[in-house]
Amino acid sequence: MPASDAIMMENEGVGTRPRLPLRRSLRSLVGTSEAGLKASHFRRPWLAAGLLAPQLLILLFFFFIPTWKALSLAFVQVDPFGGTMIFVGFENFTTLFSSPEYRDSAILTLWFTVVQCIATLAIAGLLAFATDNVMRGRAIYKGVILLPYAIAPAISGVLWAFLFNPTVGPLAQMLHQLGFAWDPNRRPFDALLLVSVAAVWKHVCYDYIFLVAAFLAVPASVMEAAAIDGARPVRRFFTMTLPMAAPTIFFLIVMNFVYGLFETFGIIDTVTRGGPAGSTNTLVYKVYQDGFRQLDLGSSAAQSVILMVIAVLFTILQFRAVERKVNYQV
Amino acid sequence: MASTYVKSITGLLAAGALLVGAAGATAADRVKIEWWYAISGKLGDTVQQLISDFNKSQDKYELVGTFKGNYEETMAAMVAAYRVNQQPAILQSAERGFMTMLNSGAVIPVDQLMAKQGYKIDWNDFVKPVAGFYIVNGKPAALPFNSSTPILWYNADAFKAAGFDAPSDTWQGLEKQLYALKEKKITDCSMALPGDFQWSLIENYSAINNYPFATRANGYAGLDTEFVYNKTGVVGQVARLKKWVDDGVLKIAGQGVAPISLFTSGTCATIINSTASHSGVEADAKFKWSAAVMPHEEGADVRNGTIGGASLWAVKGKSEEVQAGVAAFFNFVAQPDTQEWWSKATGYVPVTNAAYQKMKAEGYFKDHPTREIAIEQLSRGEPTDNSRGFRFGNHNQSTAILIEEIQAVWTGKKTPQEALDSSVKRGNEILRQYEKLHAGK
Repeated sequence: MPASDAIMMENEGVGTRPRLPLRRSLRSLVGTSEAGLKASHFRRPWLAAGLLAPQLLILLFFFFIPTWKALSLAFVQVDPFGGTMIFVGFENFTTLFSSPEYRDSAILTLWFTVVQCIATLAIAGLLAFATDNVMRGRAIYKGVILLPYAIAPAISGVLWAFLFNPTVGPLAQMLHQLGFAWDPNRRPFDALLLVSVAAVWKHVCYDYIFLVAAFLAVPASVMEAAAIDGARPVRRFFTMTLPMAAPTIFFLIVMNFVYGLFETFGIIDTVTRGGPAGSTNTLVYKVYQDGFRQLDLGSSAAQSVILMVIAVLFTILQFRAVERKVNYQV
Repeated sequence: MASTYVKSITGLLAAGALLVGAAGATAADRVKIEWWYAISGKLGDTVQQLISDFNKSQDKYELVGTFKGNYEETMAAMVAAYRVNQQPAILQSAERGFMTMLNSGAVIPVDQLMAKQGYKIDWNDFVKPVAGFYIVNGKPAALPFNSSTPILWYNADAFKAAGFDAPSDTWQGLEKQLYALKEKKITDCSMALPGDFQWSLIENYSAINNYPFATRANGYAGLDTEFVYNKTGVVGQVARLKKWVDDGVLKIAGQGVAPISLFTSGTCATIINSTASHSGVEADAKFKWSAAVMPHEEGADVRNGTIGGASLWAVKGKSEEVQAGVAAFFNFVAQPDTQEWWSKATGYVPVTNAAYQKMKAEGYFKDHPTREIAIEQLSRGEPTDNSRGFRFGNHNQSTAILIEEIQAVWTGKKTPQEALDSSVKRGNEILRQYEKLHAGK
């Protein structure tokens, strides 16, 4: 924080240059890596091109062509079979923005993504911290925590749906006996809670792997020094381990957002199908529902364009707001 | 070095080509016909049996059936495939996708196909509610295949324990019975809500009670149809269902369990579900069960219910010999013997009079009285504009909206009137969008 402030003040001191923080950070990026590039640059450009080609082809097929398709469909209304097509300008977008259902879905998605991100990190952090302090059976402990990652989302979703089914689910029966009126078919909050828990449960392992590695990377000498100075494990964790693992945590925040926004589709499809009354219908699930179930390709394409813009904005925002507070040097 | 790689790769490719060639040789003399279908479980097994029977019945064509997910997923697969010219020759599509298929420009009208390939099918022989749906302007658009209608399934043991011989034929009477079943602690779940409740408890309810669902004869008379079900008895029906849900009489199965299994396992005493559940109920229910026609409102002008299920479409863009194979299979399906076997194996209604009469003459319905209920329900009274069926463009979309809005009634977010008003408003936007896109069709 102080370091970045200093740069900003320095820049403002120059005065003549307009403040272009994004360009500045880009330039600094190029500046630092230019030396490395020069040391190992290719004399024959075709070799470089050849080496780049696989990656570019993947981008072409999995990013540029789909993006072009989405863009070209977002401004039309079209018969699913492609027989008739009417250009409608921004109508698909204006319809979405004026639809209360779409607004609800956007708010829900934000809530779901943020809660999922925080909960996943917190639980994974706790488990990783515990791993550091588990002496016996560490392998078994790790194995158990990593298990959910090996289960396909659709299968775990079906299991969650069944276990908490208010009519036949054993865990739902338990909740009923404890006096909770659990019913995800009729209580939107229960449904949202269920998909959130299922999504967090599935993703904790991912964060956990990275956090364990990050915590292990903290130099033992630093920790020992702190211990000798009398810092207890919890204090060492918050004042030493956590700041040193900041780059990993930042990376995980980005990944959790991507997961919450885009990859919880399978869980939602199997646990609630977006219901009841759209209360778990996230933006991505809505794209699928409108596009692939109801064949409203124009609206679905417009929604995916909006999602793409959101994803790009989110990433820029995260890098701008969070990354400058992350110290990559140990 | 590089050349050795190239050689070994070409070698591998050649070996692969040989293998493919060898495997293809045996099937090469038969023309391959692709069929994408959308029913699974016991019904899916019966489809595979039908395919193998057809393949054994002749040696010119080889029909290959692929299960592509439920009706919506199969349709989505078809759309994606058609755009890159990888479509199957035959598609099974549900009644809700009828307008989409009809106006897709991707299908060959079935009567044209059959006439061209020299087959004669007596289109007048199809039973009235089925013909009334699939025949457009006097010409059949698709081959009726699996037609069903929702009927009231009940646990006869539970009803007997409560002192009832059979379910009442009115909703008012049925309500008393369902509440009695719960109050006498015979069951904790008097009725299970079917997954496709909008089809049975809303659309069929509307038709049976002769309420208009939409203007322009429920869409039969033109694309400028508008939903009006927020001004009819449907509002009272949703209020009734909401009361039942709140009182724990009607249970929503939700994800993770199939509603029909709540009935077959004995958990719930009744369910209004498709007659095609016969094969499943017969196999799984370990109690004395029976079925009855769907109830109606007291004093209603009772009419026929509407059909559900699906038909077979001949898809464009296939060679002449594949089309001949499609026609041969359609002809096979339309035979009274096939119809009879299919209906008996699945519980779907026999779609031709010939098959129906044949089954009747054999005394099949005397031994299996519940198999005739669907036919009885489909032929009650003279069909009216309100009961003939529903022809709405993008019906899947307006259906999804209707379900979502009724779920908002379950959650208490909206009153039945508010929900249906909103559903009609949003549904009409879908209809207008479809009208705009298909003007002049």
